[in-house]
Amino acid sequence: MPPPERPFPVGRSPRPKQTPLLTPALCAALLWLTTTSTSASEAGATSWSLQAGDRVVLLGDTVIEREGERGVIETALVAAHPGADLTFRNLGWSGDTVWAESRGVFDAPSAGYARLLDLVGALRPTVVFVAYGRNESLAGAAGLEAFRVQLVRLCSDLRGPAGDGTTPAPRIVLVTPPPIESTPPLSAAAADARNRVLTDYATVIRSVATEQEAGLVDLFAATTSHLPAGARLTENGIHLTDAGYGAAAAVFAASCGKSLSGDHPGRTAAIRAAVNEKNRLFFHRWRPANETYLFLFRRHEQGNNAIEIPQFDALVDAAEAKVWEMARESP
Amino acid sequence: MRSNSLSSRCFLATAIVIVAGLPTPASAQRALTDIPTPDPTAELAAMEVAEGYEVNLFASDPAIRKPLQINFDPAGRMWVSSSSVYPQLRPGEIPNDTVTILDDTDGDGVADVSRVFAAGLHMPTAVLPGDGGCYVANATEMLHLADTDGDGRADARRTVLSGFGTEDTHHLIHTFRWGVDARLYFNQSIYIHSHVETPHGVRRLNGGGMWRFRPATLDLAVFARGWVNPWGHAIDPWGRSLVTDGAGGEGINLGFPGAAYFTAVGTPRILHGMNPGSPKLCGLEILSGAHLPDDAQGTLVTHDFRANRVCRYRLTESGSGFESEKLPDLIRSPRVDFRPIDVKMGPDGAIYIADWYNPIIQHGEVDFRDDRRDRTHGRIWRVTAKGRPLVPRFDATTLSNGELLDVLTADGWARDAARRVLVERGIDEVGPDLDDWASAARRAAPGTAGYHRGLERRCLELLWLRQGLDDGSNAVIDGAILSRVLNAPDPRARAAACRVVIDWADRLGRPGVGPDGSPGPIDLLAPTVDDDVAAVRLEGVRALAAVGAVAETSPADATRAAALALHVVDHPRDDALDYAVWLAARELQGAWLPAVLAGSFDDGGKISRVLFAIRAAEATAASGWMVEQWQQGTISGADLDALLHAVALLGTADELRLVFDIALAADTPAAKAASLLGHLAESQRKRKVAPAGDLAGLTRLLTSPDEALEGAAIDAAGVWQVEATAAVLASLAAADRPLPRRQAACRALGNLPGQPAHDALAALAAEPTTPEPLVAASLAALVGRSVDEGARLTAAWLARGPGDAAVHEVLRAFLGARGGADRLAVALAGVSIPEATLRAVIQDVTAAGRPEPQLTAALERGSTTGSRTLNAADRAAVLARVGTGADAARGRELYRRAELRCLACHRIDREGGRVGPNLTAIGSAAQPDYLLDALLDPAKSVKEGYGSLVVVTVDGQVTSGIPVSRSDTELVLRDALDKEVRLQLNDIEEEAPGTSLMPAGLVDSLSREELADLVRYLSSLGR
Repeated sequence: MPPPERPFPVGRSPRPKQTPLLTPALCAALLWLTTTSTSASEAGATSWSLQAGDRVVLLGDTVIEREGERGVIETALVAAHPGADLTFRNLGWSGDTVWAESRGVFDAPSAGYARLLDLVGALRPTVVFVAYGRNESLAGAAGLEAFRVQLVRLCSDLRGPAGDGTTPAPRIVLVTPPPIESTPPLSAAAADARNRVLTDYATVIRSVATEQEAGLVDLFAATTSHLPAGARLTENGIHLTDAGYGAAAAVFAASCGKSLSGDHPGRTAAIRAAVNEKNRLFFHRWRPANETYLFLFRRHEQGNNAIEIPQFDALVDAAEAKVWEMARESP
Repeated sequence: MRSNSLSSRCFLATAIVIVAGLPTPASAQRALTDIPTPDPTAELAAMEVAEGYEVNLFASDPAIRKPLQINFDPAGRMWVSSSSVYPQLRPGEIPNDTVTILDDTDGDGVADVSRVFAAGLHMPTAVLPGDGGCYVANATEMLHLADTDGDGRADARRTVLSGFGTEDTHHLIHTFRWGVDARLYFNQSIYIHSHVETPHGVRRLNGGGMWRFRPATLDLAVFARGWVNPWGHAIDPWGRSLVTDGAGGEGINLGFPGAAYFTAVGTPRILHGMNPGSPKLCGLEILSGAHLPDDAQGTLVTHDFRANRVCRYRLTESGSGFESEKLPDLIRSPRVDFRPIDVKMGPDGAIYIADWYNPIIQHGEVDFRDDRRDRTHGRIWRVTAKGRPLVPRFDATTLSNGELLDVLTADGWARDAARRVLVERGIDEVGPDLDDWASAARRAAPGTAGYHRGLERRCLELLWLRQGLDDGSNAVIDGAILSRVLNAPDPRARAAACRVVIDWADRLGRPGVGPDGSPGPIDLLAPTVDDDVAAVRLEGVRALAAVGAVAETSPADATRAAALALHVVDHPRDDALDYAVWLAARELQGAWLPAVLAGSFDDGGKISRVLFAIRAAEATAASGWMVEQWQQGTISGADLDALLHAVALLGTADELRLVFDIALAADTPAAKAASLLGHLAESQRKRKVAPAGDLAGLTRLLTSPDEALEGAAIDAAGVWQVEATAAVLASLAAADRPLPRRQAACRALGNLPGQPAHDALAALAAEPTTPEPLVAASLAALVGRSVDEGARLTAAWLARGPGDAAVHEVLRAFLGARGGADRLAVALAGVSIPEATLRAVIQDVTAAGRPEPQLTAALERGSTTGSRTLNAADRAAVLARVGTGADAARGRELYRRAELRCLACHRIDREGGRVGPNLTAIGSAAQPDYLLDALLDPAKSVKEGYGSLVVVTVDGQVTSGIPVSRSDTELVLRDALDKEVRLQLNDIEEEAPGTSLMPAGLVDSLSREELADLVRYLSSLGR
C-alpha cells in the first residue's frame, strides 16, 4: 500500500525537441563538436563528453545539493559548451547514499530509492552524474563491498527501468568524492583517517566506472591540484568553498576535455546567476515544502493545491532558456 | 442503540440527507466569517489581563509582520524572524521573508528603532543572535547571517547546517536557543526527516525531537526525541530543559539527554509530560527578575494560542523531575486573531510576547490560498507589573569581563546576555578573569568560614562558562571546581554538573589535565548514582551512559561506567529515572554484557542489577548465563523470580522448558506458576520461541482451582497451539462458568490445530442457547481458522440482530485477517441485517483505519439510509443552538453514554481511553463547527499524531492503530480498543498510513438538540 506519488510530468516536451535542422544553436553545437573534441589524450574507458541537447541529472549528497545553490560546476559545464543547450537537473540530497537513505521521507529508504528512479525516469536524462561514496565511507572498510554492490545496482537501475523504453539509456558518469580536508573543526589526524578509508571507496568507484563502461570524474584524485594556492577546499573539512567548487568544476571540465582557463568572468557570472535561479525554481518543483499536505497522507487537506507544483515547470523552462541565452552570448 | 430510539428520536433520518451533490462539511476554521479589524488598539482593549499586570504595544506592523520567533541579543535588542511566505511559496514568488531588529532606545517600552537585518529568506521559523550576526532557520538549512561592515544589515550568508526536512512548514526546524553550555538547542516537529552531514558524520532524525549543536565545532547530536510540535523550550537556572508541545497534550515536559516522548522514533519506550490533558502549548519562558512580583518568580509562561490566551504554570520539585500546576491565565482574549506564540524576558525585566496575529492558524484545515489568512500583520506585546520599577537596562557587550561575571548570577535576560558575551570573547580573553573570579569560591569550601550558598551557583556558572569556552585544550578544564560542584550541598548543582562531565570525558583524568591522579570522568560520576536525590541519580546515570559510549573510553572503563549506572537499580525509581537506567543498560550493552558472560562484571553482589540490565536490553545472549546462576542454587526469593522471568522471556527453547517444568511442578505455588506461564507465553508472542518438547502437561493446569493459573494456562495453550488441550478447552468453553473464562477458552481453541477444536467452536456458535458473547468469541476464533466458514456463520448470526459489543468482537476478527472483510462481504450477499446491528457493523468498518470497499458496498446495499451528513441549513441550525440554548451538562451525560463510545477512546482529565486525542482542553483548541464536523465525519480531519498506520504482518494479521513508538526491532500501535499492540518489525510485511480510527455514524442516533448539547459540552472543555 504505497502512498500515492507526486505526479512528475516533465514540463517541456520530451527532448530531443522537434527542432528544425540547423537552428543557430545546433550550428553552434556542431561547430563546437568539430572544433573542440581534441582532448582524446584523456580519453579512455571512462572518458565522457556532453553533446548538444543533453539532459543531465546530478545525483549525490551535500556536495551535489549545495552545488545546486552555488552553481559553479554547472556553470562551468554550460560555459564550456556554448550553444549546446544543456539541461541540468540537480537531485542532490544532504546525507544521501547509494541506498537513498535521505530519500525515504515517511517510508523506508528502499521506497525513496524507488521514487528516485521514477523521478530520474520522468526527467528522461541522457546523462546521469552519480556522486556518492563519502557518507558510505563512514562505515569503513567493512562497508566497502556493500557499497560496491549497491553502486553497480544503481548504475544498472538508472540505465534500465528508469527510461520509458523509447529513449536510449542515459550515459552514466561516476564521480568520486572530493577529499576530506584538514581544516577546523577536523584535525589532521581525523582528516587523514577519513581519507585513508575514502581512498578505498574512490578505488571502488573507479573500478565500477570501468566495469560499467561509465564515465569518471575523479574529484578525489584531482580536485586539490586545481585549487588556487592558499585557497581552502572546504569550509569545515567536508563542505566545499566556492574555490573548492571551482576546483571541482575544473576537474569536471578537464575530464571531458574542456578547459576553464579562457572563461570570461562577466559571462560566467551571468550564466551562474541564471543557473542558480533555475536551480532554485527546480528545487521547489521536485522537493516542495509541505509534501505531507500536498501529496502524502494529509493531502485530503491541501491536495487541491498540488496543482501549483507543476506550475514551476514553465518557470524552470523559462529560467533554463535564460541560461542558454547567457551561454550563447560571446564574451 | 436501539432501532426504536432511532425512529422515534432521530431527526437525522429526516434532517440529514444523502451526501451526493452537497459541498463537503467545512472544517475547523473554514466557516470563520467574522474577521476582526487588524487594529492593535482594539486588540489590546479586548485583552483581559491578570490582576497586577498591564500590557502595551511594543511593536507592530508594518515594522514587523507575522513574527515567528523573538530573541534578545546581549545589547538588549530584539531580533524577530517573520514570514509572509508561510504556509507555501507560490509558483513565481521570490521568497523574501525577513529578520528584523527592534530596539527601544529611550526606554519608554515601545520600539523606536526597527531595521530589516536580512531579507530574501524562506520561512525563517527561528532566529537567534550570536557570533556577530544571527543563526536563522531557513527551511532546509540553518544559516548564519553576519554584518561584517557594521551597517546594521547582513552582508555575509553562510550555510551552517543543511539537510533538514520540509514535509510540513509548521514543523520546520524551530525554537532556537542557547543553552547554559553555550550550545545551540533547536527542535524539529514530527513530520520532519532530517539528514545532516557534519564533519563528524551524518546525523539523522526522522521525526520530532531536540537537537544540540555547537557552531564552533559543528558537533551535532539528537538531545531528546519525540513530541509533535515542540515549540517551546526554556532552561531553568539549574540548566534543566523544559519543553512545551504545540500539538501534544501533556503540558510541560522535562528534557534530559536521551529523553523520549510521544511520537519518538527509535525507541520502544516513552515518557510523559507533567500536565496530561493540558491545552496544546507554544513558546515557553521562565519568569524572573526584580521587576516582577515575588509570586511570579520561577513560574512558567506559555501560550494556548488556539484559545487566544497566555497561560502560566508553577513547577515544584518532585522525584527525579517536577510536578506542574496550572495557574490562572496571564492574558485572555475573546478575539480569534490574538495568537501569542513566543515569549521572552526582556532586558528591562518586562515580559515580551510575540503575537503572530492571524484569525486562521495552522495550514491543514484552511486552504493555503485562503484570503482570510493574514500575511501582513503582527505584534509584539510587552507585559509589565503595575507600579513596580523596571530593571535598569544595560548593554552587556560594553561590560568588562569582571562585570559580566558578576551578572552571571543575576536573573533572566541578563544572565544569558552576560554568558553569551563572555563565551564569544573566547578563552584567551576571558580565562584570566575566570580564575580570579573562581578564587574566592575555591578558598571558601563548604564547612569553612566565608562559605555561602551563592558560591555554589558561582562555581556552576564557572563550569558552564568553561564548557562554553571549550577550545578542546586541556587547560580549559577545571577538574577541581567540577569535583566540588558534583559534591555541592545543593542537589540541583550536583545534577547539573553531571552533564559537564560528559563534554569533558575525553580529557578528564588524563595525563596533563589537572594534577596527577586527578579523577577521571567515571570516578567523578560514581557517587551520583547513589545520591539521596533522585534528580541527581537521573543525571548521573545518563552521564555515565554517555561517558561509557565516548570513543576515548576504554572497554574496561565503559564496563565500569555500566556497573555504576546500574547502582540506580538499588534505589526507588519513578518513571523518568527507571527510563534513564533502562536506556543506559541498552546503550552500554556492549560494555556490560561481555563482562557478565565472562564472569568479570562487578555487580556489587546484587544480581538484581544484572537482571535489570538483561531485561532492559532484551539480551537473549545472557540466558545461558542466567540458567547457570540459577543452577548453582545460590539465588532465591525475588531475585530468583526475576531471573526465571528473564529466562522465560529471553531463553532458548530448551531453557524455556526448564522454566515450564517449574510451572508444572506440583510444589510450585499457583501464583508463581501463573506468572511463569505468562512470561513464557510472551516469549512466543514476541520471539516465536516456545518451551521445547511435549507441552501436553499444560492440560493439568487448565483445571487448576486457582483462577490466575487457569487463565494463564488457557492463554498459553492457545499461544503454543497445544493440540492435546483441545478436549479440556472445549469442555471449559461449554461449561456453565463465568463468561470471560469461557471466551478465553474459545480464543485458545481458535489457535489450536485439528478438527476437534474446529468442531467445538462451530458447535458453540451454532447452538441457539449459547450466550451471545460466547457466540461472538466462537465466531471470532473461527475466523482465524476458516474465514469462509466463519463468514457463513457470521452472516446468519448478524441476521439475527446481535448486540453492539458482540458485533464489534466478530467484526474486528474479520478486519484483522487479511482478506477477511472481502470474504464477509461475499457471505453477506442477500442477507438482511437489522438496522441497529448494521449500524454497529458500519461503525467497525469505518473505524478500521483503511478503506474496505467491498464490505462497505455490501453493507450499503443492505442499509436503508446510506451515508449521511447534515445539509448546510441543519448544520447552521445546530451550530446556532450551540451558541444559545444548548446545555453543556446534558452534553456531558451524552458524552458518557456507553453507546456513543466517546469515553472508550478519548480522555478528559484522567478518565477515558487514549486512542484519540485527549479532549480535556478541546474547547480551547477547536471551534464548534470543527467539533460538529469531526463528530459527523471523523475521517475528514485527523489531528497530527493521530493518523493511523495499517500494518500487515507475515501471519496475515492486519492491525490498524496510532503509532506510539518505534524502535529498531519493534513498532507499538495503540489500537481502537486502547490496547498497545507490539509488532516485531521482522514480522511486518507491509505498512501504510491509514485514516481515522473513529467510527463514523456514532452520533447518528442523536437529536439535533442533543448534538448541539454535545458540541456545547466539548466546546466548554478547557475554556
